[in-house]
Amino acid sequence: MAGQIECSRRTVLRFAWSGMVAVGALSVKPLVDYLTSKEDQPRTSLVAYEKSLVEKTDWQHVPNSRVWVMRDDQGIAALVATCTHLGCEVTYHPERKQWLCPCHGSIYDTDGRPVEGPAPKALPRAAVERKADGSLIINTEKQVGLDARL
Amino acid sequence: MKDNFVNHLRPRFISDRALSVYYTFCLGGLSFLAFLMLGITGILLMFHYQPGTSSGFSSVLTIGSVIPYGSVIRNLHYWSAQLMVVTVNLHMVRVVWTHSYKPPKQLNWLVGVGLLVLVLVLDFTGYLLIGSQESGAAATVAANLLKQIPGLGTALAQIALGEPTALSGSTLIVYVWHCVALPLAAFWLQLYHFWRIRRDGGVRPL
Ligand code: HEM
Ligand code: FES
Repeated sequence: MAGQIECSRRTVLRFAWSGMVAVGALSVKPLVDYLTSKEDQPRTSLVAYEKSLVEKTDWQHVPNSRVWVMRDDQGIAALVATCTHLGCEVTYHPERKQWLCPCHGSIYDTDGRPVEGPAPKALPRAAVERKADGSLIINTEKQVGLDARL
Repeated sequence: MKDNFVNHLRPRFISDRALSVYYTFCLGGLSFLAFLMLGITGILLMFHYQPGTSSGFSSVLTIGSVIPYGSVIRNLHYWSAQLMVVTVNLHMVRVVWTHSYKPPKQLNWLVGVGLLVLVLVLDFTGYLLIGSQESGAAATVAANLLKQIPGLGTALAQIALGEPTALSGSTLIVYVWHCVALPLAAFWLQLYHFWRIRRDGGVRPL
């Protein structure tokens, strides 16, 4: 038969061994990355917001964080967008003036008070401070009340 | 060393008929392969998993989203477990089909029943460790079932599940059962299962 190749049991086994060695070698880096990952270690609780927020605005998202900030007549407030039900990230929908949770459908009003769904408590507020250069620092570890403003 | 030990693990001869794939479909072998996979990926998951009704779920989410290759490892563990439940059940169907539960293999059938129970309880406790709301519901149902047993029930539920909440089944107690006690028991019982196969004359049509 044309194109037939000699393939002994030994050749097949050697092939299988090389395959296993190759898979083993390729798993080294993923394993090291996985075992040395510090992503689940607590990170700094301070979040920086570059703008000074002098005008009144609705909720603004602080990039790369779960923090949102806003300014009303009383001043500046910061909110941590973690659902009080099971911890999914909620997002603010300005057109509805509501916070929506994608996981089990909790709905919060614009101040973060739960109005619908399984969420038991209001979304947590965090303390805001102003640095010398005018930018803001939000301390997510320091919880404050709904009416607290800077 | 190699001559003594490795060769000792091998049988002196294997009958032709034992090599037929269509007799066993290697379903027991596939179950064992899944078990080894579960052991390896399970140990890896333990490096980042945090048991506890308030920390279990978020650590699972973290493993699945931000830890490098965490979601591959989690999925391998999860799907190997589901596969193992399927192959173990099919393996048992095959044993019934070929009448392999009959003497002299009746004891290995009972060992197999023990393994089946262990595998199912392992799958269930693994589901509780996810710590999702569903796991809380499952743990609550299991605890309530156990508590129905007169006298011993309450203590039994405590020993088996600890104190799960309705929102999470990930307790330290379930963690110890799932990650240490049950896998060890299943491992030694499997070795005994394999040893008995040879003791009972090997896998072959009776
Ligand atoms: C942890 C789960 C199990 C593993 C890893 C396992 C593994 C194995 C293996 C590798 C074999 C050799 C033949 C084959 O591959 O089919 C075997 C045979 C056998 N298994 Fe299992 N098994 C498991 C569960 C069970 C269960 C649930 C039963 C039945 C209740 C059972 C009863 C038997 C019997 C009676 C034999 C001898 C079959 C024969 O000689 O034809 N095993 N097992
Ligand atoms: S986590 Fe938001 S509704 Fe469940």
